[in-house]
Parts: sequence; C-alpha cells; structure tokens
Amino acid sequence: MTLRWKYSRYFLIVIVAALFAAPILGTNPLSKPGLQQTLAVAFVFGALALTYDLLFGFTGLLSFGHALFFASGLYLTCIFINHSVFVWWIAIIASILLTSLLAFLVGAASLRTTGITFAMVTLAFGEAGHVIVNRNFFGLTGGENGIALNAELIPQIWVGVVNTKYLYWSALICLILTYLIIWWVTESSAGRVFAALRDNEMRVQVLGLNTRNFKLLSFVIAGALAGLLGSMMLLLAGSAAPRFAESNITIALLLMVILGGAVTRWGAVVGGIAYSFLTTRMQDLTQNGLFAGLPKYVSGPLSEPAFLLGIVFILVVMFAPGGLSGAYYKLRLRSISKKYSSSK
Amino acid sequence: MNALELADVSVRINQAQILHGVSFTAPKNQVTALLGRNGVGKSSTLKAIMSLYSPTGSIKLNGTELIGTPTHAIAASGVAYVPEDREIFATLSVKENLSLASRSKISSEKMSRVFEIFPDLSTRQEQRAGTLSGGQQQMLSLSRALLNDNQILLVDEPTKGLAPKLVTEVADALAEVAKRETMILVEQNLALVKRIAQKIVVMDQGKIIFEGAPEKLSDSVWVQSVLGVSNRGKHS
Amino acid sequence: MSTFLLMTITGIGLGALYFLVASGLTLIYGLMGVLNFAHGAFLSIGAFVGLWFATSIMKEATIPNFILAMIVGGLAAGFFALLMEQLLITRLYDRHIDQVLVTVGVALVVGAVLGGWFGNDLRLFPTPLWFLTGINFFGAIIPADRIIYIATAVGLLIGNWALLRFTRIGLIIRAGVENRNMVNALGINVRRAFSTVFFLGGFAAGIGGVLVSVYSSGVSPLIAGTYLIYGFVVVVIGGMGSVTGSFVAAMLIGVIKQFANYYVTGLGDFVIALLLAGVLLVRPQGLFGKRIS
Ligand SMILES: Nc1ncnc2c1ncn2[C@@H]1O[C@H](COP(=O)(O)OP(=O)(O)OP(=O)(O)O)[C@@H](O)[C@H]1O
Ligand SMILES: [Mg+2]
Repeated sequence: MTLRWKYSRYFLIVIVAALFAAPILGTNPLSKPGLQQTLAVAFVFGALALTYDLLFGFTGLLSFGHALFFASGLYLTCIFINHSVFVWWIAIIASILLTSLLAFLVGAASLRTTGITFAMVTLAFGEAGHVIVNRNFFGLTGGENGIALNAELIPQIWVGVVNTKYLYWSALICLILTYLIIWWVTESSAGRVFAALRDNEMRVQVLGLNTRNFKLLSFVIAGALAGLLGSMMLLLAGSAAPRFAESNITIALLLMVILGGAVTRWGAVVGGIAYSFLTTRMQDLTQNGLFAGLPKYVSGPLSEPAFLLGIVFILVVMFAPGGLSGAYYKLRLRSISKKYSSSK
Repeated sequence: MNALELADVSVRINQAQILHGVSFTAPKNQVTALLGRNGVGKSSTLKAIMSLYSPTGSIKLNGTELIGTPTHAIAASGVAYVPEDREIFATLSVKENLSLASRSKISSEKMSRVFEIFPDLSTRQEQRAGTLSGGQQQMLSLSRALLNDNQILLVDEPTKGLAPKLVTEVADALAEVAKRETMILVEQNLALVKRIAQKIVVMDQGKIIFEGAPEKLSDSVWVQSVLGVSNRGKHS
Repeated sequence: MSTFLLMTITGIGLGALYFLVASGLTLIYGLMGVLNFAHGAFLSIGAFVGLWFATSIMKEATIPNFILAMIVGGLAAGFFALLMEQLLITRLYDRHIDQVLVTVGVALVVGAVLGGWFGNDLRLFPTPLWFLTGINFFGAIIPADRIIYIATAVGLLIGNWALLRFTRIGLIIRAGVENRNMVNALGINVRRAFSTVFFLGGFAAGIGGVLVSVYSSGVSPLIAGTYLIYGFVVVVIGGMGSVTGSFVAAMLIGVIKQFANYYVTGLGDFVIALLLAGVLLVRPQGLFGKRIS
C-alpha cells in the first residue's frame, strides 16, 4: 500500500513536471497557444471538479448551486479590476473573501435542509445568481453579454496570444494549489468528520459534534476555492459572462466527478480535465462539419454537446457506478485476486 | 404439517451480519413464540420472511420458496405482518387503513368480526389513525392483518409499551385469534406466551438456541436466554 | 384598486403555471423520494407535441382545438414520463442520488434533441383570439389567457384531490407517501402507484407546457428551465409531498413576483430567492410539510 503510494507520487511528479516544461521544450503539440488555452481551461475545470468532489464525494452534499461561487469570483474580480476599486491581486483576494462570505450565507440557509431538499434549494440559489448577472443591475454585470476585462489593468504577461503559456502555467498552478488544499483538508481531522458525516450522520451527532457546522465548513472551503478558480477563468476567458453562472456548469461538474469517480481526488481531476477537453474538441469538430453527411434529425442533436453529455450521464449511472476510477479499482481488484488464486 | 419452514436464513446489512443461519419451523394452526433478548434478531427474522431485508437460505410457505419474491407478493400469498412499531398510516382514517389492507372487497361480515374483537375501533372509523392511542393503534394494526384470509400471521411484540389493562385486552384478542390462525409471535410478555403458544423458539445473537414445546424449556433457560445473561451453547 | 386587482390576478395566473409544474414534482418526490430534473423535459415535450397537434392536425385556433391540443400535449408528456419511469427509474430502486442523476441525463438529452430538431428560437403557438382579449373584472381589465391558466390549475387541483380522496389508487398513493414498505407489506404492489404518479405528473407538466407556450408567446426548448426551477422553489416552500402546499405556495410566489416586478423591473426573481431563504430559516420543512425529526 505504502509502496504503491510512493510510486504513484513519483509518477504524479513526473507528469506535473512534464506539463510544466512542455510549452518550452522544443516543438510539441503543447508549444501551440491553441492547445495551451484549451488545456488551461481544462485545468480550471479539473480543479473545479475537485472542489465539487469535496462537497459531493467527501461530504455527501449534493449541491446544484456550486456555479454560483465560481461566477461570483469571476464577476467580482472583473468588476473590482474594471472599476479600479483594487489592483488586480487585491481584487482577486477581495473577491475570494466575498465569495467565501456568500458561500457562508447560502450554506447557512441551505444546510437547514438535507438530502434532496438541499439539492433543490441550492439549485434555486444558484439560479438566482444567474438571473442577477443576467439582469445588469446598476450596469455592473453587463446583462446577457457580460463584461470584458480591461486588459490594461492586469499584468501584461497574461495578455496576448504569445503569452498564452503564462496563462497555461497559472492555471496549472491553480490546479495544483487546489489539489494540495483539498488533499490537506480531506486528510485533516475535519476531513475525517466530513467523511463520517457522509457515511453516517447520526454517529457524528452522537459524538456531540455539530454536524451542520462541519458541513458548512466544507461548503465554504469549496466555495472559496471555486471563487479563486473563477478569477483564473476570468484571466483565461478575458470576460465575465452569464454562461459561467448557469446551473449547467454545476451539472457538468457533477458529471465530471461521477465520470472520474467520487472520493478519489485524482478521479475528479482527470474527469474534469477530460470532460472539458473533449467538449471543446467536440465543438471544434462539429463546427468543421463532423456530422455533415448525416440527416438533419440525427446531426442536429449530435452537434448539441448536451446530447452526448446526457447519454454518458445515463450510461455511467446505470452501468458503471463509481466512474472511471471505480472501474480502474475494480480491474485492479480483479487482477490482484487473480494473482492470488494462481499463486496458490 | 408446517406452515412455514426457515432453513439457514442469514441477513447482512452493510457490514453487519444480523442473522447467522436461522432455522426453525412454524407448525400449522399453532402459535410459535419467538423469544430472545433485545437486539438478538427477532424482528429481523420477521422482516426477512417478509423480504423487507434480502436474506439468503430458504424460507418456505407451505412448500413454496419465498426468498427472492417481492414483499407485496409474499403478503398477497397470505402472510400477514403486524410490525413492531405498528406502522399504521397516521394521515389516513381508521376506515381507510382497513380498506387499504383488505385484499378483497371488504365484507361487512369480516368487518364485524374485527369490530367484535376490537369494539373500540368500530366507533372511531372516521378518526385519523395518527390520533389513536398507542393501544388503539396496535388494535388497528392487528385488525389490518385479520381482515384477510391468511396462511400465517407474523406478530411482532404486540404488547410493547402498553399499559397493563391494555396488555390484557390485546392478549385476549390474540388468544381469540390464535384459535383459528397460524401465528409466529414475538413477545417479551411471558404470561401471554405461556397462555397461547404451543411451540417456543429461542434466539440468541442471530441464531436459534432452542426449539421445542414450552414444557421442555427449563426455567433456567427461560431466565437466561429471554431475560439475557449469556449464551451457553445449544439446547434442543 | 384596479391595478391592484390586475396585478393580483395576473400573479395568480402565473402561480397557476408554476403549480402545474410543481404538483407532479411534489407527488413524485413525496412518494418515491425522486428529485425529478426531467420534469422540465416533460414540459417541453408537452409544448412541442401540443404545437405539432395545433398546427398540423388542427388548422384553426379555436378554443376547443386549443383545449384538445393541451390534452394531447399532456398525454404525450405523461406517456414519456411513464416510459422514463419504467426504463430507468425502476432499475435504480432506492438509489436516490443515482435517480437524480439519471433524470438530469434525461433532461439534457431531451433538451438537446429538441434543440437539435427545432432550434432554440421561439415558435409561435396558434392561440385563439379570445385569449388576447381583456375581461372586465370589477374595473380591472384582465387578460383572458390568465383565466384559462387559473381555471386549468384549479381543475387539476380538484381532479388531483378527488383522485387521492376517492379512489383506491389514490388511497395507495397517500399511504405510500407515508410509508412505502408497509404498503408493500399489505400485499399491494406500490410500484403501480409510482407509475400512476409519474404519468399524472407528466400529464400536468405537459398541459403546463402548452399553457407556458401561450404565456411566453412561443415554444422553445429553453423555456422549461426557469419553470422547473420555480417548480422546485414552490415545492420547497409548500412542503415536499403536499399538493395543497404546492398550490398555496405557487399562488403566493406568482403574486409576490408580479408585484415585485411591477415596482422594480427584474426584482421578482431576487425577492423570491430571499423568500425561499426566509422560509428555510423559519420553517425548513416548508409551509405545509411535516416536521422532519
Ligand atoms: N437496518 C439495520 N442496520 C444495521 N443494523 C440493524 C438494522 N436493523 C437491525 N439491526 C441490528 O440487528 C440486530 C437485531 O435487531 P432486531 O430488531 O431484529 O432485534 P430484536 O430481536 O427484534 O430486538 P428487540 O427485542 O429489541 O425488538 C440489532 O443489533 C440491530 O441493531
Ligand atoms: Mg424487535
């Protein structure tokens, strides 16, 4: 067990090092800004999926409002920078703090309910956020079109296509940071309580711990990290738009976690990266006429990303609960048991 | 002739093994009392029979295997269940509770038979079952079972939590029922058990440790296994 | 005064639409514990089938034709709901989270298929002219379509109540909401009640879909989303599993939203979110919900 962990840690370090070096190591696909951008977005979603795994996988909270905090980080940072309220780095910190506060308030209200009601309530709050940014109150959020980030007010290494590699590196750092924080949280004593809560809330209550406070802590940590990732997304997208506040984002996160397998950490990250990467690619391919030969009633649905998403969702839930990592562990288990039975 | 035969019935819930190979039989037209300390698995045995848990092993009703059959089909084949916490439908009226439970069109003859045993209920047909007293709820729960033609009745601690006067009332009713029906009765009230049971089955820690006639059960085993000191191995 | 009346009645009309969505949601949840994200899809299916019927089969937009289209849309959505329940939900018996996920999947697929076939632009629903007239109600001129929404919702509420109150399947449903296992243990296959409820929920949502198309002056796969969310809000505020609670909450929300929007454009959604938070703080189980111990 410890041996395996040692190896997988080295393996992880090698992968991360390779990802860091790739943009400046000779010519490879990653030296092109296009792929760097796509992967940077995928890193952000991988990290976001991980924060969602903290909620759903580790604490057992099925929230449909996580996009709210992602969007809050994104919009607040953009508003603070554009209106020169703060310099960029204070703007990011301030928006993370405010997002944490928002997560605290929403969490405190929603966590008065549990289970399925909690899911409905968080969905409603998430949608309220979506509606608000869509409405352009006080001309702050730009309504349906969103607002463009004023590129003159951020460090110039993040601006321009030639500089995409810096965005790529920043996104990678955000992913690693998120991973480390979540790793630390879930391995800490609070993390044990989260897991215990998920498995048997009653037992934790019997121990005299206030279960709601622990859930709230998990909710706020996940929200704050989502806020940070929102700021990163703002740099990547160059604008804040209502599509980042849609509940579809949360549903996609849920799919990423389910796809990768909850409670494994790496499963969520891989699920998030794979999902984000594949959907971007799919869009490119359909735009280039991938389904051109097919009749309209087939190609129409196929070129909607939600179609495949939904099908995969249904198939994974029906036939592969546990996701990719679940399948992986099942295979490992099978090979181990085979080894034992053959050695006897 | 046995109405119900259990052979090596086991139940696991999550990681906990709750029944470890329970085997006993319930003869036709007799009352079989299932005894044991708190938490040994008496209620779980009844739930296993009803398929409310998924057991392994074999449970035969008049020779037909019940394991793998869904709960509703088991009930429909004539197994009536009176659960430990009564589980009457609190928001429904007494009458609605009864008509829900009746598998065939409710006949006034059956109705009057039930009301004969439990006169308290006949005047309260329109009352919401949730507002009945504990004893009346127990009567309603028993009535639900008695409305149908049953192969066997599974009754789980019918006198639990009742005042002494009500215990007598319910006991009289059960004695009346026992004249016509086959029954497995889980009960802590020894007087009631001795009064109506023709056969005793004692459980400990998810196993059967005694099965036989009430006379054969020595007083020390009574005390030990029912009121609970320790399990000293099998007696049978 | 006449403005007040107008606002109240339009608000109730809007609430009626919310109720059509919420009634099915709350029953499905109450009986099976399933949070049905596909309910919006039922709404869309009802709207599109109703549209197809109203334009291709019926040529004229008369009131009887419209009512027929409404029923056809409702039936289509009801049968779709039944199909989903039989094919997917029953296989995930008691795996509540997985059931939620599957309904999310169905919602995505239906949305994409409709979007792929018909595009996301609004398509006009042929509306009887009478709907566009105003009715003088104590000095307030009420748009006639509101009367239809309210009448349909009230009709559905009464139908629902009668079914639950006077039929055996209704009795089984009410008992099942309380204690599913015990209904089974009485020899009744509670799954039949599930299927009935899914069908009825889909039927109500489908009818709602046709009416929503009139209200938003067109059909599009995108309109279902907001109604689904309002459906959830109504169910939570009304109390999960209570049809009456949903009715009261839906009317309340419709009226409050209407008034808020009248004073500050776009404020309605925000006020409802605050209302939701407030209700949760004071009464987490909702107005008509049972206290969860
Ligand atoms: N759903 C469950 N999950 C975990 N353990 C359970 C479950 N149901 C029962 N048990 C355990 O199984 C054991 C047997 O329970 P059961 O209710 O059958 O006992 P019993 O003999 O009826 O006791 P009592 O006389 O107190 O009613 C108990 O230790 C109980 O804690
Ligand atoms: Mg018991």
